[in-house]
Amino acid sequence: MRRTAALFALAAVLATATAARVRAQSPAQRLAAGVQAYGNLDYDSAAAQLRAALDSAGAPPLSAGDRVRALVYLGATELFRDHRDSAAAAFSRLLQIDPLYRPDQLVFPPEVSSLFQEARLNTRAVVLSAPPLTRITSAGDRLVVWLYAASYHPVDVTILRANGVPFRNVYSGGVGDSLQVLWDGRGETGAPAESGAYRLRVDSRGGDGRVVRSVDLPLEVAATRGDTLPLPPPLADSLFRPEHSVPRSGARALATGLAGAAVALVLPSVVSSGSSGMGERFGVAGALGVAGLVGYQLQRRPQPIPENIAANRTLRRAWQQQADSVRAVNAARLRAVRLEIRAGTPRVVEAP
Amino acid sequence: MSRYAAAALCGALLAAAAPASAQVPRYLGADGGIARVRFRSVTAAGGEELSGVVARAVARGRAGAFALEASYAQGRLTADTGLATDRDLVDGSVFLAVRPVPWLAVGAGPHARAYDAAAGGVERWMHFEGRVRAEGDIVPGMLQAHLEGALALGSSVNLAAGAGGARSAAVGLTLRPPQSPVWVALGYGVDRAATKGGGRAETVEMVMLAIGWGAR
Repeated sequence: MRRTAALFALAAVLATATAARVRAQSPAQRLAAGVQAYGNLDYDSAAAQLRAALDSAGAPPLSAGDRVRALVYLGATELFRDHRDSAAAAFSRLLQIDPLYRPDQLVFPPEVSSLFQEARLNTRAVVLSAPPLTRITSAGDRLVVWLYAASYHPVDVTILRANGVPFRNVYSGGVGDSLQVLWDGRGETGAPAESGAYRLRVDSRGGDGRVVRSVDLPLEVAATRGDTLPLPPPLADSLFRPEHSVPRSGARALATGLAGAAVALVLPSVVSSGSSGMGERFGVAGALGVAGLVGYQLQRRPQPIPENIAANRTLRRAWQQQADSVRAVNAARLRAVRLEIRAGTPRVVEAP
Repeated sequence: MSRYAAAALCGALLAAAAPASAQVPRYLGADGGIARVRFRSVTAAGGEELSGVVARAVARGRAGAFALEASYAQGRLTADTGLATDRDLVDGSVFLAVRPVPWLAVGAGPHARAYDAAAGGVERWMHFEGRVRAEGDIVPGMLQAHLEGALALGSSVNLAAGAGGARSAAVGLTLRPPQSPVWVALGYGVDRAATKGGGRAETVEMVMLAIGWGAR
């Protein structure tokens, strides 16, 4: 009895020591150990090591490449442990990280590749690739984003403002292996984006149309507008001619009219002495006299000066045309916004 | 005054006006209208009187301080007295003028007039006249009065007595709406021509109404 108890105690000590040693390993070491166990056909140990590597709580996580490596070995391990669903789940997790990944057929047997292919066809995920900096300075410039998909499925590509409000729907439709989407830096109304944070969101949809996965590409937009020209300075009052005459006494107009009337009356006797003259000349004399009276009245009041009014109108029209021209140039410059779009690192924001 | 002296006077006026030529733009004008005419001829034996309406047209052009004007009038005068016979009146003139100041034009040129009697015979007068025209604004830019005087510097007539002299004067009013090239003129003129010795004096009076375009 005492011997049995001693053996249990020894086993407990050994197990505790082994567990402590396993816990002391880093995720990378566990990955290496798991791969080695897989090679040794010790699938149970390999599965334990690989899961531990992937679940590395409290330790620095694996890099994306190591996680992919761990998941493909875990999938293969589970397949050989006859845990087909677990294997498919591992492959699906792998494809969420890297939809373009394919198992190396020199390392893994065909049944692994076959299951991986099956999992790939059931996985709806995309990864995004965009240049870190895009400049939109002319009408033909675009931000180019490549989408790489694990399998063919419908996606919606939308530019969102920082608060999540849609700014522009860029693409809705299917995506196969890859898809190029373009954004000209403008919203649905055609107005260019203001400076600020935006996101390019790709929603992958399932067979039922629901969003099964979303990926955001952070975009930082810096908008620069061209300088506008100043309007021409207002026309100085000194440039305008007086549009009304200064009131005059009118005596000169009256004198001219009355003198003309008098001449008309006396003209026959002056030119042709003794002639009585035509009666119609009284009409001419009357017209001249009335004209003198009218002129007398008009000149006592300010009268519009048509020539000056026309000259001032021409001056104002020329100024207005100049101002309109400047406004048109400014409007064109304001429309021609230059954008700098900096793309961040894509991240999955919603997983099924 | 001989024709040579008249020509010398015109040349002097043209030379004097030349410096002002840059101040006035060049432009053209024309007018047409009608004139109520009364013709009266007085001789030692009596006289005759005719009246009628003639059509009248004037064309003028200006270049700087120089102006050229040509006029033509034609119409039938009917006898108002028992002894007279109807006549066709034809009147034409050409004047070259200068404007030493904007309100004054001085010029000279030939003036021809013919009376073609219905009963036969044509009386022709030919004058070389000097003319002065003064203009004054009643309403600046719109209403203007003018006074014109002419004196024959040389005359001829196909009458046996020969030409003695001629003079004329006219006064009138021109209305031009603001900024309009069209104007309306009303005028009255008297023209007297006499044979040598004063044996025959002919007076022509005209009340003219014209509508014109461009230069006045």
